Amino acid sequence: MDIYLAQLMNGLVYGMLLFLTAAGLSLIFGLMNVVSLAHGSFFMLGAYLAFAVVRETGNYWLALLISPCLTVLVGLVVERFFMRRLYRRGHLDQVLLTFGFTFVFFDAVRSIWGSDIRKLAPPVSLEGSIALVGGMFSTYRLFLLAFGALLALILWAVMEKSRLGAMVRAGVDDSQMAAGLGANIPALFSGVFGAGVALAAIGGVVAAPVLGLYPGMDGDILIPSFIVIVIGGMGSLRGAFVGTLLVGIADAFGKAYVPALSLFLIYLLMAVFLLVRPQGLFGIKGGVAPAGMVVAARAALSATLRVKVIAALVLLALACYPLLVPDYQRTLVSEIFVFAIFAMSLDLLLGYTGLPSFGHAGFFGLGAYTVIVLGALFGLNGWTGVLIAVPLTALAAALIGFFCVRTSGITFLMLTLAFSQLLYSIAFKWRDVTGGSDGIGIPDRPNIFGWSLSEPIVMYYVTFGFCLLCYVGLRRLIASPLGHAFIGIRENESRMRAIGYSTGLYKLLSFTIGGALAGLAGGLYALFNGFVSPEVLHWSASGDILIMVMLGGAGTLLGPVLGSAIFLLMKNLVSSYNDHWMMIIGIIFIACVMFFPGGVWGILSSRIAGRKPDSPPRPGTTPAEGIASGDKAPTGAAPGASMTVDGAAR
Amino acid sequence: MLELDAVHSYYGDSHILQGVSFTVQEGEVVCLLGRNGAGKTTTILTVMGYITPRSGTVRYQGQAIAGLAPYQVARRGVGFVPQERGIFPSLTVRENLTVFSRQPGSALQAAGQAVKGASAPRAPWTLERVYKVFPRLHERERNLGFQLSGGEQQMLSIARALMLNPDLLVLDEPSEGLAPMIVNEIVTVLRGLKNEGLAILLVEQNLHTALALADRHHVMNKGEILFSGTSQDLERNEDVKRRYLAV
Ligand SMILES: Nc1ncnc2c1ncn2[C@@H]1O[C@H](COP(=O)(O)OP(=O)(O)OP(=O)(O)O)[C@@H](O)[C@H]1O
Ligand SMILES: [Mg+2]
Repeated sequence: MDIYLAQLMNGLVYGMLLFLTAAGLSLIFGLMNVVSLAHGSFFMLGAYLAFAVVRETGNYWLALLISPCLTVLVGLVVERFFMRRLYRRGHLDQVLLTFGFTFVFFDAVRSIWGSDIRKLAPPVSLEGSIALVGGMFSTYRLFLLAFGALLALILWAVMEKSRLGAMVRAGVDDSQMAAGLGANIPALFSGVFGAGVALAAIGGVVAAPVLGLYPGMDGDILIPSFIVIVIGGMGSLRGAFVGTLLVGIADAFGKAYVPALSLFLIYLLMAVFLLVRPQGLFGIKGGVAPAGMVVAARAALSATLRVKVIAALVLLALACYPLLVPDYQRTLVSEIFVFAIFAMSLDLLLGYTGLPSFGHAGFFGLGAYTVIVLGALFGLNGWTGVLIAVPLTALAAALIGFFCVRTSGITFLMLTLAFSQLLYSIAFKWRDVTGGSDGIGIPDRPNIFGWSLSEPIVMYYVTFGFCLLCYVGLRRLIASPLGHAFIGIRENESRMRAIGYSTGLYKLLSFTIGGALAGLAGGLYALFNGFVSPEVLHWSASGDILIMVMLGGAGTLLGPVLGSAIFLLMKNLVSSYNDHWMMIIGIIFIACVMFFPGGVWGILSSRIAGRKPDSPPRPGTTPAEGIASGDKAPTGAAPGASMTVDGAAR
Repeated sequence: MLELDAVHSYYGDSHILQGVSFTVQEGEVVCLLGRNGAGKTTTILTVMGYITPRSGTVRYQGQAIAGLAPYQVARRGVGFVPQERGIFPSLTVRENLTVFSRQPGSALQAAGQAVKGASAPRAPWTLERVYKVFPRLHERERNLGFQLSGGEQQMLSIARALMLNPDLLVLDEPSEGLAPMIVNEIVTVLRGLKNEGLAILLVEQNLHTALALADRHHVMNKGEILFSGTSQDLERNEDVKRRYLAV
């Protein structure tokens, strides 16, 4: 059979599957300005529910009907009872909320159906293959193509030809204006969210016989879907369609001819598009919709005597702690210190510069791999490794940042995510150097002043020292003119630009410093752990660190430290007697996003300083979004302009 | 039919409207005047439900509407023409007109009850009628929103609001930034609407346009109404004209 034809077929099939998720993702984004990170979870849920239905009834077609319906119900609950409550709080909080749900769904799927790969047989009527133009094709795959094309056609007809579709498109253009003409926006949001979930779930059902079922299939479809909508243009159905075919085919041919580089090809495609056409192929919305951070600016705590005393006591306690406890706890707290550095480095981006990075683990992992690989392959001393790792990650951050800082808000988030996945795939694929999925280790730890780091107590003081150093350094940075520029960009980038700052450069600088510090944390982690595997680079690792920052309180320095402590303690505590720690973390995170946007430190610090905690804005007192913005935003920019309103009001 | 009483509105912590009161009667054209930043748009957005006032009442056809969502206000029969025109760029001209259009009388149903003395029967607005009033839009029917000139956008925005068959039309500076020719055209259309008995709340910076259309005027400054009167009163009041209007 013609090999090209076979690859083309593979590409088209994969493209179709991608289309079903990407189309919904893109529409939801276009209308609601929210990237639903749970979209992959609905894909997974659809697949597993179908698996359950087929096991009960043996009827694939019934599963194709029931599973999407059930999944839509779940999706509507998420939209109606969680996301809707955060409409007024800004889009990033909603994104984070959907991220919390990925934990919940992942854990649910894993505990119900287990971690093993499951298989779903295609319906009997579609088994076998058919001979067509010079080749044999699996009947099921042909069905997939036809089915996908039919759905795309229906979707296109609804969107382009019906009044409902016009309403959705009007909402995508300018939801505030649509509201002023009588469009019931909350209902429209629910409808589109539900339709998007339905598409993803259908995608999951039809994909199951081809791709198999496993927890983690959510991320595997989500990331390429992101790339698709970056390429195709957000909010554009046509863009999603063309984008999926491009990515699908590039992927198939890449896998066949340059297997080592197959993943790069897609990312390369994306990078090229971002440079040449940042708004994507068919995007009308610029790729730079400001999503802004809704992290309340918290004035640096005034160094009153009370605060100084508390700080001194805490430091003293931390210094004495390892003398009083066994090794296990020394190790645990050392790990907390390492992750505290990592979390603070992310907060420099997220909380201080307003850059919501979802790929920060990439730099952490790069730092860790540098130390371990140099140690394992060349016998290089761990400290030398760290000394090399930091500038190397800084370089990588500068390079990646060069692409990313051109965008902001949600696009930025997706790009950083995609780049970190690129690093992940390198670590995964480059077996000779990185050991692939098995990971790689170093035989022994280096010394410091004659003491070996393999002693937990030595490790404790070393990580403690680095953590303190980073804290003090970042504190100074934040207080410096440079730090003020970062904060200015977070508050109102266009104003900073207007008064003569080249904000792109500053953002790049912040990104690079943050990346370098994450590299340092990664290097220390390598020394601490002596072993590294691709998991440290995975997007869920980026999510974990984001959770730590948000949990503790973004836009502060102690918040992330506290957040990483809480996260890791909980992970250790809960996972020691209960398998469902992901579910629990997910729920706590969701609660945190919904009810304590300032994080734990936000609550604590106001207690210490004797202030009342900042209450979330009451409805009715927040400024109207969109067309209420003071600047005369051109038509179509209004949905994105909402954040400038918030910024101005503050 | 529209009644604002001591309305105070805020953007976050900034107190913008400081006790605004005025009414628009059935079939009347009322104009809000004032310099840039006087609070005219804020007043309009408060009426439309984009901003919920912290105190004071907004009544429409006898019912309190402060706190309702914009779509609920719109469905009660208010046609909104925002300052930025708000054309949907990726919809065609025709789609812009039809996407949210409503039949006459549906406003009353949306309000849940028929309101006594509401809207005398006016000729309903349909695509044909709108195209007759704005032939330019007919020519550009198939063009996308973003392809229109400023004047065409303004016409489309007004026509789109008419397609809702409103009982009250709310326009925010319809003449802003347009060539005199086009302003004249729009003024002619608005005068036609007035003669038909449609109630209009108009924001204007251009005194000439305001005098040409409105029955009563309210001059705003710093979120307060400092002068109210008929066209004659306003024309005679040199002090107000000099201090609060750029005359
Ligand atoms: N989104 C916003 N956030 C904070 N303040 C705002 C916002 N929009 C407007 N303002 C302020 O509210 C005040 C009133 O603005 P408004 O837009 O109502 O004025 P206006 O009379 O419509 O002016 P113009 O003639 O320029 O349209 C101004 O001082 C303005 O700076
Ligand atoms: Mg205005």
